[in-house]
Amino acid sequence: MSTPKGDSFVVLFATIVCLVCSILLATAASSLKTAQDYNVELDRRLNVIKAFGVPTRGEDGKKISSSAIDKYFADNISEIWVDGTTGEEVASREDAKEPLQLFVWREDGKITKYAFPISGKGLWSTIYGYMSLDADLSTIIGATFYKHGETAGLGAEIEKDWFQNNWKGKKVFEDGKRLHFEVTKGRVSDKYPNGNDHAVDGISGATLTGNGVTRFVNADLDKYEAYFKLHRGT
Amino acid sequence: MATSIKKVIVDPLSENNPITVQILGICSSLAVTTQVDTAFAMSVGLTLVTAFSNLVISAMRNFIPSKIRIIIELAVVSTLVIVTDQILRAYFFELSRQMSVFVGLIITNCIVMGRLEAFALQNPPGISFLDGIGNGLGYSAILMTVGSIREILGKGSWGGIVLMPQSYMDHGLNGLMVLAPGAFLCLGLIIWIQRTLIKKYETD
Repeated sequence: MSTPKGDSFVVLFATIVCLVCSILLATAASSLKTAQDYNVELDRRLNVIKAFGVPTRGEDGKKISSSAIDKYFADNISEIWVDGTTGEEVASREDAKEPLQLFVWREDGKITKYAFPISGKGLWSTIYGYMSLDADLSTIIGATFYKHGETAGLGAEIEKDWFQNNWKGKKVFEDGKRLHFEVTKGRVSDKYPNGNDHAVDGISGATLTGNGVTRFVNADLDKYEAYFKLHRGT
Repeated sequence: MATSIKKVIVDPLSENNPITVQILGICSSLAVTTQVDTAFAMSVGLTLVTAFSNLVISAMRNFIPSKIRIIIELAVVSTLVIVTDQILRAYFFELSRQMSVFVGLIITNCIVMGRLEAFALQNPPGISFLDGIGNGLGYSAILMTVGSIREILGKGSWGGIVLMPQSYMDHGLNGLMVLAPGAFLCLGLIIWIQRTLIKKYETD
């Protein structure tokens, strides 16, 4: 079979292939977007309730269903916006100079837990997560990290349970002072032989990821401090 | 036809296995084999991508200008891979999270390009498609074997189902198997066993 092999044919052929490929990709991306967004939103909600200390796996080891997640959001959790400059609750995001998202967990009408998003630079990527504090806004109930691009096996360990479980019960506020929360290099017991209730074990091989987490967790805690000050110990 | 259908499907399973004999696609086979379900998803993904890219390239083989051959191949392969990735994200979110970048890296998997260059460019679409399936299955067989060994020894389960007795779990799981060296050991042993069986040796 004789085929034209001139330069104009090369350009034409490449153009056609690129066009067909891009149409295919655009169709796939836009038709699957709804399903993908739903998954991302579900994952985000799952991480909020995980930060609140709700077990996200049943006794059979299966993940809890999406309807169960929605039920927590309907029954217990409400999402509010806070102005970071004044620390006051506002009606909507647009009303605040520095809008901050906050999740409040109510039981029998009383607020028992707070959760808020934490995010910032790790080593390679921006890390996203949630942190939850108790009613006194001084003790960590849980923390999760759900989206990041850290090194698999090293920095990526932040999304593992062993790392996140260490956060539970740590203090961020004690005796009227905001404590500097720290992800140590190595073990807490090595750096602070007398113990330290506002530091967690770092991940070996991921010191820089840990430093990043330390930095942004404290920065985010400071951002919310205006609101926390008004609600602490009431 | 010189290449029979049976040969095209069966050869890559053992005699001409892409991983153990041709030593292609090692990177991904080490990365996704910590447990069976990711290994399975990767196997299905790679098999489909290899088969369909073989089909498309083979259908165009008489028209592709040789100057831009590789670029066209890459465009087709990456389109297919991205579509696969999008589908995984939409319907198998958890799996796609675990496999992270490795779905995207099918684009650079040597098996896909290797089959396009070695087979699809010289053969008609039908048999090329089967060649893709065959090589995908050969890859899958090794992936599933390594994945099974690593998950059973490293996590005491298979596909999430707990297999090993509690006493094995209590005495500390074989952590080495979950890490990269475990994959190297498994794969090395499999290559050794298989090459001994089919009597294929590297000769200088």
